[in-house]
Amino acid sequence: MWNLGLILLLGAAPVEAGPTSYLAVIRNAPDFSLTNQSGTRVRLRDLRGQVLLVSFIFTTCNGSCPATTHRMCQVQEELKKRSIPAGQVRLLSITLDPARDTAEVLRSYAQLYDCDLNGWDLLCGPPPEVGPVIASWGMWARPAANGQLDHPSRVFLVDRKGQIREIYNLSFLKPPWVVDDIAALQRETP
Amino acid sequence: MRHWLRSLNIAMAATIVGWSPACAETCISPFIKRLDRPEKILYVSCSAIDGRHNDFVGVVDVDINSANYGKLIYQLDLGCRGNEMHHWGFTDDRTKIWACGLFSDKVFIIDVASSPGRPKLEKVVNVGQLSGLSGPHTAYALPGRMLLTFLSGKNGGLPAGLAEFTNEGDFVRRLDLPGDAPYMHDVTIKPELNLMVTSGFTPATNYKVPLAQWNLNDAGKSLLIWDFKNRKVLQQIPLAGAPFEVRWSLKPGARRGYVICIFDDSLWAWYASPGGGYQVKKLGRTGKMPSDLKQSPDDRFLYMTCNGSHEIQQWDVSDLDNARLTSSVVPGAHPHMIHISMDGKRLYATNSLLSTVDPSSQYWIRLARIGPDGMKMDPFFNVDLSQLPTGPARPHDMLVN
Repeated sequence: MWNLGLILLLGAAPVEAGPTSYLAVIRNAPDFSLTNQSGTRVRLRDLRGQVLLVSFIFTTCNGSCPATTHRMCQVQEELKKRSIPAGQVRLLSITLDPARDTAEVLRSYAQLYDCDLNGWDLLCGPPPEVGPVIASWGMWARPAANGQLDHPSRVFLVDRKGQIREIYNLSFLKPPWVVDDIAALQRETP
Repeated sequence: MRHWLRSLNIAMAATIVGWSPACAETCISPFIKRLDRPEKILYVSCSAIDGRHNDFVGVVDVDINSANYGKLIYQLDLGCRGNEMHHWGFTDDRTKIWACGLFSDKVFIIDVASSPGRPKLEKVVNVGQLSGLSGPHTAYALPGRMLLTFLSGKNGGLPAGLAEFTNEGDFVRRLDLPGDAPYMHDVTIKPELNLMVTSGFTPATNYKVPLAQWNLNDAGKSLLIWDFKNRKVLQQIPLAGAPFEVRWSLKPGARRGYVICIFDDSLWAWYASPGGGYQVKKLGRTGKMPSDLKQSPDDRFLYMTCNGSHEIQQWDVSDLDNARLTSSVVPGAHPHMIHISMDGKRLYATNSLLSTVDPSSQYWIRLARIGPDGMKMDPFFNVDLSQLPTGPARPHDMLVN
């Protein structure tokens, strides 16, 4: 019998994780300058003032990248549902395979996934340019036995001051939760 | 065509990243990359005993096709002794192990990606100084970060707590405990439910002195259920003495988990209450001093070491109303940590709990084979850590690669 169930809801207020927000400052987002799918240069520090969601993907991935990009699309939809203007939030997807993922390839990829490019940059560049960016974010990609690239599954949430405030992996990248986090960052004083 | 291609890609990805119960590592953070093949290397955290040699990470060859199968093939010297090498965990990308020194408050960050058979010490971080806590215990991967439980406060007393660090060892934040639940031990997270569960053992004022001097009343007696995203305690559930290892059910979305109580010789489940929140149920009486808890990949069995009665027990928990002991083996004196292979067929065991508690002088790593009829010890697998050239050592936690 389920006779030993004992529940005690705490009366005391739970402890705040940080002085102002449940999203702790993890570290500063490393700056970079890369080229987007249209050939336009995008520099991270020029995006200060916007909340950023930054993923690392490669277009021929048959592992976690398709689902990550799909979830990012769902985040875009959720942002629209909640009437959060595209200009306040920007999605960035940086290639992990700069040798193959040119601007043209990224354009086709964006089309395949119905990414709304009004507010989403897919970023590439020559390998010597992209490699250090990948490393500076603590990411990596290396050939796997199945011919794919092995890589960590991480998506970074960056606040308007350029600080990383959350890191999701696919099991935690739920669009309503992500948009809750984005809204929490938007409520902070710039 | 475009939508069809995209759907195919996403479906393929879902298959790859989804739950495959028959073959998946258990009892490591759900945020860690899973091994996609049988294990070849077993890492063991080891504390030197003789006072002259340093603590180390033992590397055992467990590749069944290797000529060195079952042998200690490498020892990574950690550069100091007296750390009480205890629990540890992979970072989310599986490139590093965070190895906790329970007595020294140090974490040894070990690179296991560059050369898995010859791990390298990358950095030593005094997580006690950074967090204001002491006694780092469970090292639990979050995406890009590590969450550590600490058994004690700054001076070895209470309150204990938790703290988060970047994978590189930089301090992110501390999580404090409710005033009436100041004990800490283990942590487990269910991402899809946004819930975290923690247990509470006892502080350093107990575990740093011989067992005979322990105050057994100075121990946790509750589970804490947390809102993981907000890092806030939602509920405190009273339980028996010293809730120890905690595990969520492996099934996606399953609203239940398991905990052993080391001072109460008991196994419990927590589960969603129809009226909201969670409640607990005692599943049964275990052997003496249940001290480690692991799960089969199919979520049917629990394995627990009973340190005081020298056995490893297998329990079928597929029906919480009829949880039952299904198999038991005696691997040797005082087994403590265990590790289950990704296919659920091999169970590695070590036999050091704490230097202040261990009554044995013989230390080993042994292997139980698991089949339909339960566990059987493999008489040919025995890594003797009592007779090493670097002096005898006490083995604790294990991970595989």
